[in-house]
Amino acid sequence: MAYPYTHEKEVRLLSRGWGDPATRTLAGWQAMGGYEGLRAALELGREKVIDEVKASGLRGRGGAGFPTGVKWSFMPKEKKGVHYLCCNADESEPGTFKDRELLRWTPHQVIEGCLIAAYAMQAEHAYIYCRGEFFEANQVIARAVEEAYEAGLAGENILGSGVSIDVTVHQGAGAYICGEETALMNSLEGRRGLPRVKPPFPAAAGLFRRPTTINNVETLCAVPHIVKNGGAWYRQWGSEKSPGTKIFCVSGHVVRPGNYELPLGFPLESLIHDVCGGFREGRRLKAVIPGGSSVPILSAAECVDCALDYEGVVEKGSMLGCASVIVMDDSTNIVKQVRRMVDFYAHESCGQCTPCREGTTWLSRILVRIESGRGTEEDLQTLLDLGRQMTGTTICVLSDSAAAPVASSIEKFRDDYLALIRRGEAVGAN
Amino acid sequence: MSDGGKRPWELPFRNPGWAGNTGEFDLTEAQVRGDEYVASRPLDGGHPSGAPTYPYMLADKDPDAPLFEGPYRVRYEKILTRYPDAQAALLPVLNLAQELRGHISPETMDEVAGLLGLPHAYVRGVATFYTMYNKRAVGRYLIQVCTNISCNLCGGDEVLDAFLEHAGVELGGTSEDGLFTVTEVECLAACGFPTAVQINSRYFENVTPAGVPDLLDRLRAEAK
Repeated sequence: MAYPYTHEKEVRLLSRGWGDPATRTLAGWQAMGGYEGLRAALELGREKVIDEVKASGLRGRGGAGFPTGVKWSFMPKEKKGVHYLCCNADESEPGTFKDRELLRWTPHQVIEGCLIAAYAMQAEHAYIYCRGEFFEANQVIARAVEEAYEAGLAGENILGSGVSIDVTVHQGAGAYICGEETALMNSLEGRRGLPRVKPPFPAAAGLFRRPTTINNVETLCAVPHIVKNGGAWYRQWGSEKSPGTKIFCVSGHVVRPGNYELPLGFPLESLIHDVCGGFREGRRLKAVIPGGSSVPILSAAECVDCALDYEGVVEKGSMLGCASVIVMDDSTNIVKQVRRMVDFYAHESCGQCTPCREGTTWLSRILVRIESGRGTEEDLQTLLDLGRQMTGTTICVLSDSAAAPVASSIEKFRDDYLALIRRGEAVGAN
Repeated sequence: MSDGGKRPWELPFRNPGWAGNTGEFDLTEAQVRGDEYVASRPLDGGHPSGAPTYPYMLADKDPDAPLFEGPYRVRYEKILTRYPDAQAALLPVLNLAQELRGHISPETMDEVAGLLGLPHAYVRGVATFYTMYNKRAVGRYLIQVCTNISCNLCGGDEVLDAFLEHAGVELGGTSEDGLFTVTEVECLAACGFPTAVQINSRYFENVTPAGVPDLLDRLRAEAK
């Protein structure tokens, strides 16, 4: 069964089976070659599994793009006590909606990835921190975990190998900040989701003060395929520094928004115009946020010849993040949308660091003033100054993320701000 | 999606989300939601991993329900087995309490603190940090409309207005018949299917202002 908006340019590796309820079940997943990666891993041994993941060049899909194999190798080789693995399924970056699909259509893919990663890093317990709002995905992944236990794929003595790994689905309770890895660990420990100061890094003292690794759902989903087919095989897609496929979440003013799995390095213009069907008649591109709301906005001119990999987007002055492409056509009211994003950060700031707690609220109030036509030209400079003071001064990057769209939008769409300030006229409707 | 005015723009295709129809997508609602693939509850011998996960609130939620008795005591005890200490079970246990009671009052926080052997002030600090714990009673259906950027670009504000109008409530308020509480919510991670709306445990996607009355009628019928 085909997912209703597949495109011929897609490479469906992780998203194969989406839209087919049979894929959810253990039998369905095994019929597609599921759990062969786990068997292969148990035969290869820990070291070689990490070597394969390193060789594949897989980079973290949660936003930072750090090489996964390298991250894994930070875990202590000599085991002195418990190790943990956390699967970060607290997907809540505005514009991102891939993990929910992975969880609800291919839960066993997530579990298999967790088991392989836990095995490689000698973790005896894998916690899947699933976003609280995902009740539907939660019921599916919980059933899949239960099935995995029943089949001897999780728990004691997995597949007769002598290795024991527990898997627990942990439901969050609604806090964007818990997607930050150290906040996630605090939340799992039953605390407020406040990010921790690093060092110590999670691989030294993480969950319950034990060595811990946190990986994104999509990262872990790629692991079984890499272990089964080899790191070199994974490199057939993407570029030298950004190998593999990536699920691009496209939202906003395109005709066919949705999740599309494409090789990294795919051209942004082709994604918008070919894969997503371009714009409504008579509309054209105004701006793109290429990596979720936390990254700088790109103007239409900057989208020309932009390759969607970790390096290509940085070259254009933004970041790939988790590849959540928010597309805005010329009916967009940039000031309103930036204000809406800043409101989000003001709401989700954990309140721990002053520049973020105060700064996000101040940004929001100044933007509301401008949006309602009561702003002054000095306000723009105040916003930029505030943004600078919010960047690099806090424990986590939520503060930087709130400042990024403000600064980039003032730089690239100053006329939209000035129209409101000087004439009280909004450019665009939504 | 707006054409420059307030008129919403209909998306030309339907995705596999659930908005009352799936268009050409040949699946039932239950198949899309995964309702046919649900972990058995611990009471039925199910695995402890499935203990704390759903639903958001029982239809007959009772703010005075005991914490915890019968099957809920079984689930509570199974939750505790999954963590090295009782403190780590705090969020799942609060989820469980909310499932029964519909909201987490200060008294509930204190009771949960007593159960887990944690200071009252600590539990209040944690419970008030997370937005999914309703701090006061809500209606039979908690309707949360996403108005964050992706939905907003495509008319999320208009969908929110339609819910407020047709449910006859102020933002954050509960309708007189006790059925609907309407709130705004931050990104629900369904950005390709604007506007995304969460109603109790369920997601509804591609919701347009025009579709709101039918959706509310469906909920009214379900509640009977």
